[in-house]
Amino acid sequence: MTDERELTLTVNGTERMIEVEPRRLLVHALRENLDLTGTHIGCDTGNCGACTVLVDGEPIKSCLAFAVQADGSEILTVEGMEELPAAAGELHPLQEGFHEEHGLQCGYCTPGMIIAGKALLDENPDPDEDEIREAISGNLCRCTGYQNIVRSIEYAADELESRAAADGGTPIDSTNSSSLGATGSEGKSIDCGLENCCGGPGVGSGDHDDGGSS
Amino acid sequence: MKAAPFEHHEPSTTDEAVSLLESLERPTILAGGQSLVPMLRFRLARPETVIDINGIDALDYLREEAGFLRIGALARHADVADADVIAESYGSFADTAPLVADPQIRNRGTVVGSITQADPKGDWGSVLLAHEGAVVAQGPDGERVIPADEFFLLPYDTTLEESELVTEVRVPTPDAREGSAYHKLKRKTGDYAMAGVATRLVFDEDGRIETAGIGMTAVDITNARARDAEDRLEGERPSSALFEEAGELAAEESNPESDEHGDASYKERMIDVLTQRALGDAAERAGVVKRTVSP
Repeated sequence: MTDERELTLTVNGTERMIEVEPRRLLVHALRENLDLTGTHIGCDTGNCGACTVLVDGEPIKSCLAFAVQADGSEILTVEGMEELPAAAGELHPLQEGFHEEHGLQCGYCTPGMIIAGKALLDENPDPDEDEIREAISGNLCRCTGYQNIVRSIEYAADELESRAAADGGTPIDSTNSSSLGATGSEGKSIDCGLENCCGGPGVGSGDHDDGGSS
Repeated sequence: MKAAPFEHHEPSTTDEAVSLLESLERPTILAGGQSLVPMLRFRLARPETVIDINGIDALDYLREEAGFLRIGALARHADVADADVIAESYGSFADTAPLVADPQIRNRGTVVGSITQADPKGDWGSVLLAHEGAVVAQGPDGERVIPADEFFLLPYDTTLEESELVTEVRVPTPDAREGSAYHKLKRKTGDYAMAGVATRLVFDEDGRIETAGIGMTAVDITNARARDAEDRLEGERPSSALFEEAGELAAEESNPESDEHGDASYKERMIDVLTQRALGDAAERAGVVKRTVSP
């Protein structure tokens, strides 16, 4: 009954093999078998979303799935964000957004928020505020009141868009994206012609139009 | 807390799952798991075996076929929310899907699992009742179609046999002059309903209501039909006065309990209001009338 099962999970691009009991939750497999403690356990009931990860591209709560159910799947945890092409070897724009826009206070919910934001932007690169609030509605935050989290995700959407525009409208790759964006809303240096693409609502309109570096 | 140890089986066909159900000690079915996993973790459920049906690809469908909308046991809430056929023709399903829990849970949780769980606060049971739908169960002796009216017994208890696997829920494909809707009151995203009402109206050629279906959420020991309200509607032309009467009748038929979210009289009043709104939407979607009053 307590026989362990051998599983293969591709976590953040790396294939990992683990042996777990069938009752092992995915979140425990990630944290304890694979030592990836970025994925948090908040509520133990499936309400808080701190344990959100992407399984085959879809956001799920890893405390509501058994690890055996993820056998053969591709999983993205918050630790994998910096390794994505959009991070260009530094922080991913979502991580940068949470830094720039003060999207975290205690930070406990942040990994789940970032993953929920990633799932949203993968589907919808230009979400409005309602769509962002809907996307993070399964993630509780007890510190921020959500406003700065929404701004953080807006920041990331703008940042990803401006990088894509700078790259000729094609998805960026890791070799040529570092010249833009990493400096945030103050460091934009192009006029891409799109509303709100260069730093969002906080940026003065004159900055956008001058086309030069500030 | 961790689940108690269990034996884990992953059948790849329905027949295999049914024979496991028949032969194993105290089994339970795992589909989406969004209610089951917490129950296992808190040891409210303690099965000897878990039969994980997620590998039965044949149960992963949502389609119109032979006069029915058929939703397979592995169709997720998110699949309903995304399906074109739902957006085009099934107002109540389109209303309900985005109101179930939250995005992560909708990616995993299944419509069939939610109905089979038979939580009186579940949304889909009311929709199934309003549409006079059915639950399809596969057992050792073959397939059985259980009308929604005969499915729910008590909270978390149904007329399903122990060795039966629910493979599908189905509702009749809509008539030309049919509309449906679902309205739900909840405190915040992710919550179960405090009260919810599903409606379905089918009109005849003269614009009278031929068939009315009303299912109520969270205001009785199971999802419940408001039969007096349905009877009042049938044969009549829609009007705000008629819908007000139906709302009052539905409220009278409901049996909510007072709890921390509100007292029973408040929930009854909400059933009245939600019924009127959902009837208005259903009528409008049937294309027969324009809604004029929004209570």
